[in-house]
Amino acid sequence: MSYTTFNQKTFDTLKQPMFFGETVNVARYDIQKHKIFENLIEKQLSFFWRPEEVDLANDRKDFIDLPEHEQHIFLSNLKYQTLLDSVQGRSPNVAFLPIVSLPELETWIETWSFSETIHSRSYTHIMRNVVPNPAEVFDDITRNDFITRRAVSVTKYYDELIEKCSFYTQLGEGTHTINGKVIDINLRDLKRTLYLTMVSVNVLEAIRFYVSFACSFAFAERAKMEGNAKIIKLIARDEALHLTGTQHILQIMAAGKDDPEMGEIAESCKDEVREIFLDAAEQEKEWAGYLFKDGSMIGLNQHILAQYVDYITDQRIVAIGLPPIFNAKNNPLPWINSWLNSDNVQVAPQEAEISSYLVGALDSAVDTDDFGDFDL
Amino acid sequence: MNQSTNPASNNSHQDEFRLDGLAPEHDDFSLEAETVEADLDHEPVQDCLILNTEDAEQPETSAQIDLDGMDKPIHAVSVINNAGTNNSEQFHEVSFQNANSLLESLEAQDVPVHYQCREGYCGSCRTQLLEGEVHYTEEPMAWINDDEILPCCCIPKTAIRIKLT
Ligand code: FES
Ligand SMILES: [Fe+2]
Ligand SMILES: [Fe+2]
Repeated sequence: MSYTTFNQKTFDTLKQPMFFGETVNVARYDIQKHKIFENLIEKQLSFFWRPEEVDLANDRKDFIDLPEHEQHIFLSNLKYQTLLDSVQGRSPNVAFLPIVSLPELETWIETWSFSETIHSRSYTHIMRNVVPNPAEVFDDITRNDFITRRAVSVTKYYDELIEKCSFYTQLGEGTHTINGKVIDINLRDLKRTLYLTMVSVNVLEAIRFYVSFACSFAFAERAKMEGNAKIIKLIARDEALHLTGTQHILQIMAAGKDDPEMGEIAESCKDEVREIFLDAAEQEKEWAGYLFKDGSMIGLNQHILAQYVDYITDQRIVAIGLPPIFNAKNNPLPWINSWLNSDNVQVAPQEAEISSYLVGALDSAVDTDDFGDFDL
Repeated sequence: MNQSTNPASNNSHQDEFRLDGLAPEHDDFSLEAETVEADLDHEPVQDCLILNTEDAEQPETSAQIDLDGMDKPIHAVSVINNAGTNNSEQFHEVSFQNANSLLESLEAQDVPVHYQCREGYCGSCRTQLLEGEVHYTEEPMAWINDDEILPCCCIPKTAIRIKLT
C-alpha cells in the first residue's frame, strides 16, 4: 500500500474499515459509515473560540503576588500543557491521516488537530500576559528533565506508529533491511501499534490533561488566575469532545465489526492497555511530586492530586470497557465539575448561532427508538 | 490573512483590525503596568456560574411545555448508588416530574451524579439503566454501552431504576 492523495480506484466507502483500508479519495459526507465523526466535527466547529477573547490583565497581577512555590506550580503546569498540545497539534494528522480510510474520520482528525493549535496559541497568549519573559518558560520545555521525561511517554507510541507506517507505505509488508537494520513489517503488527497508540492518545487527553486542569482550576477556586481558568475551561470543553472521539474509535475497533482483525487485537491487548493506563497514572503522580516539591497550595496538594489521578484513571479505563484499576469511585475534587463545565464561559457570538442551528436540526419529536441502532 | 501586526507598517485602521490579537501591545510590556487593578477580595467566578440556582423539581415556572388538560406524569426513579467509600450500596427513591433532564432532577433531590458537559458529549454522567425507558432530548454523542444512559440529556418515559457507578 502506498499513499496517494487521491485514490483513483472505485470502491465502496461503506465497506472500508476506519484505518488500513483504501486511502480516501472523494471527501464526501453524504454517505457515512460512522455518523458519530460527523457529529463530532459539527460540535467541534460550534466550539470555535479565540484565546485573545479572554482578558488576562488580572492574572498578571495575581501571578506577581503568588508565593514562589505557587509560581512554580503554575508555570510547570502550563509548560506541561504546552508540551501536550504541541504533540496533539500535529500528531493525529501525521500519524493517522496516511492510514485513514473513511472521509468523515479523516475530516474529524483534521478538525480535532486544528482545535489543538488553538490551545497551543492560547498558551502563548497566557505567557505573554502573565510572565515578563515568555521565551524563558518556553525554552525550559526542552531543557527541563522533568518535562522532557513527560515528552517521552506521551510521544513514544505515536513515533513508533509513524515510523512503521512510513516503512509500510514505502516498502509494503515483509522483512526489509534499512541502513543495515532488519525490520519486519506486517499489517497485523501495525494494527496493534495503531490500537495502542489510540489508547495512549486517550490517556493523554482524558487523564493527563485532566490532571493539569485540576491544577489550573485550583488557582481559580481561590479567585487567582481566573483568566487562565477561563481559557482552560474552553480547552477542557474541546478535550471532552476529543476523548469521546478516541473512546468511540477504540470501541469501534474492539467491537471488530469494522475490521475483525482489529477486534482480535483489542481482545489480545487488554493487559498492555491496562499497563498504559497504570503507567500514565504513576507518571502523573510522580509529576505531582515535582509540582508540589517546594510546598502545596490551598486546596490542592500532592496527596489529593494523586487521589484525583486514581479517580480519573478509573473513570477513563472503564469507559473503554476494561475493569477499574484503583477502585476510586469518589471524586476527591468535587468542585472541579462546575469548572469543567463551560456553559458559563463567554464565547464568540457565532457559537450561539451554530449551536441553535444544531438544535434546530434535530427533530424534536424524535423517539428514543430512533436512536436504537445508532452506531455509538 | 497576511495582515501585518507590525506597528511600524502604520495605517490608521491598524488599531481596529488585528487578526492575531495582542502582540503589538506587548512591546511595552512591563510588570508594573498601571492597568492592573485586581480586586483580590472577590469570590471565585465559579460561584456565579453554578448551573441550577433553583430547585429543578420545584420550579417557579416550568420549563417544560404544558400539555393542555393533562397532568404532567411523575415517574419514580430508584437509584442504586455504588459510589460509597467502602463499596457499600446506597439507595435513593426519588421522582422525576419537572426537570429538564434526569441529571437536573437527581441533583435537585441531592443525588450527586458526575458531569462535565451536560450536553451529552463528554460521557461523564454515564449511568446504568436497570429498568424502564428514557427519552433523549438531545442526540447523545458520548460513548455508552447498550445498558447505559446519559442522564444529562434524557428524561424518563416510564418508572426507571438506575445504578450510579
Ligand atoms: S455530562 Fe457530559 S455526557 Fe452527560
Ligand atoms: Fe488540546
Ligand atoms: Fe485534545
